[in-house]
Amino acid sequence: MEYMGIDRDRLHFSWVSSAEASKFITVVKEVTASVKALGPATKFVKDRRQVS
Amino acid sequence: MIGYIDKIREVALKLLNEEKVDMVIGYRQGSLPMMTEPCFVKRPEDVETLIWDSNCRINLAAYLMDRKEKIGIIAKGCDSRNIINHLVENKIKREQLVIIGAPCKGMIDNKAIALQFGQDIDEYQETEDQITVKGGGTEKTFQKVDVLQENCAICNHRNPVVYDELAGDLVEEQTDIDRYEDIRKIEAMDIDEKWNFFEDMLSTCIRCYACRNACPLCYCPTCFVDESKPQWVGKSNDPNDTRTFHFLRAFHCAGRCTDCGACERACPMDIPVRLFTKKLGKDCLDLYGWEAGLDPEQRPPLDTFKPDDPNVGMK
Amino acid sequence: MSEWEPKILAFLCNWCSYGAADLAGVSRMQYPPNLRVIRIPCSGRMSPKFVLSAFMNGADGVWVSG
Repeated sequence: MEYMGIDRDRLHFSWVSSAEASKFITVVKEVTASVKALGPATKFVKDRRQVS
Repeated sequence: MIGYIDKIREVALKLLNEEKVDMVIGYRQGSLPMMTEPCFVKRPEDVETLIWDSNCRINLAAYLMDRKEKIGIIAKGCDSRNIINHLVENKIKREQLVIIGAPCKGMIDNKAIALQFGQDIDEYQETEDQITVKGGGTEKTFQKVDVLQENCAICNHRNPVVYDELAGDLVEEQTDIDRYEDIRKIEAMDIDEKWNFFEDMLSTCIRCYACRNACPLCYCPTCFVDESKPQWVGKSNDPNDTRTFHFLRAFHCAGRCTDCGACERACPMDIPVRLFTKKLGKDCLDLYGWEAGLDPEQRPPLDTFKPDDPNVGMK
Repeated sequence: MSEWEPKILAFLCNWCSYGAADLAGVSRMQYPPNLRVIRIPCSGRMSPKFVLSAFMNGADGVWVSG
């Protein structure tokens, strides 16, 4: 993705076990924060007005 | 390399006469100079149509998928690696194949020659390291090393990896080449530069899917671009759809691509599509020390799990 | 609308993170509301086309979790 010119922070991967609710929360917060920091996605977004 | 043809015909004739194979897949002269086409020789008297020169660019492994008959096939380094891919992916059985290995010193780029020559080419001749083309009352001689296809110039597996017969002596492998110079250049760009670079590069793509059709790896019964429920990729020439197509195609070839150059050759718009597949080839090499199509016994990295696999970007 | 909030598409494995999300809910833990969760039967169900499709359809971020 990065090679194509998409910010790395827009795509996250993680491992969370089903017993790790607190890790889940931490990761959610992390992911949300990093995407929020990047602002709205402008690349790769299809303009729906054009499609219809 | 040009002397291979006698041996190729001899082996093909023997295989067909002894009924060891039902057909031999090789090259014959195309309708234009510097063009060859794949041919399927089924009768011993037809072996004379087989040819071999520096225009045998086509990857013949693309014609092997799901074949039931016994086949003799001519294989350059890259073709043989794609044959191994097929063996690993169970698209053909080794017992069905008689591989006629053709150690290869690189195939020439006919588009580059035509461009430099500037005239219609009527006649073509080659010696071991020189190419001569004639047409429009003039003639020009090229050094073969100057007009090699880009992927041949950086090839590090010129000798076939598997073979039953050899059409000539094994050639020396190139060792002092930098295979990934162009990839590193792109990797060094910042995020917007990359985006614009590919936007620009793909802007001429007409989505003819010739790259997919020429590729010996692309054999899905229904390609993701043709799926309609759900439709992953739109049919229009929306840049995002084009990008998705190239991006996903490259992903499908990750850990399998042998950099044979079939996709780039097939492209009517001369888009350097290998920049995508090569990047994933480089990643496979860097992360897993893997090069596709070298060993039929080994499973590819993306279909095995090892505890010490690298965790790229995992939380 | 006050502040811009990102839309994040989360692909969660049925057996791992989806369970964690469930547990988090049952335990009444608080977390950001930006996720749109898609449950997948296993992380192995994940495909790059899901990710691209998500971005094309307007997701600001994608999170895959096993």
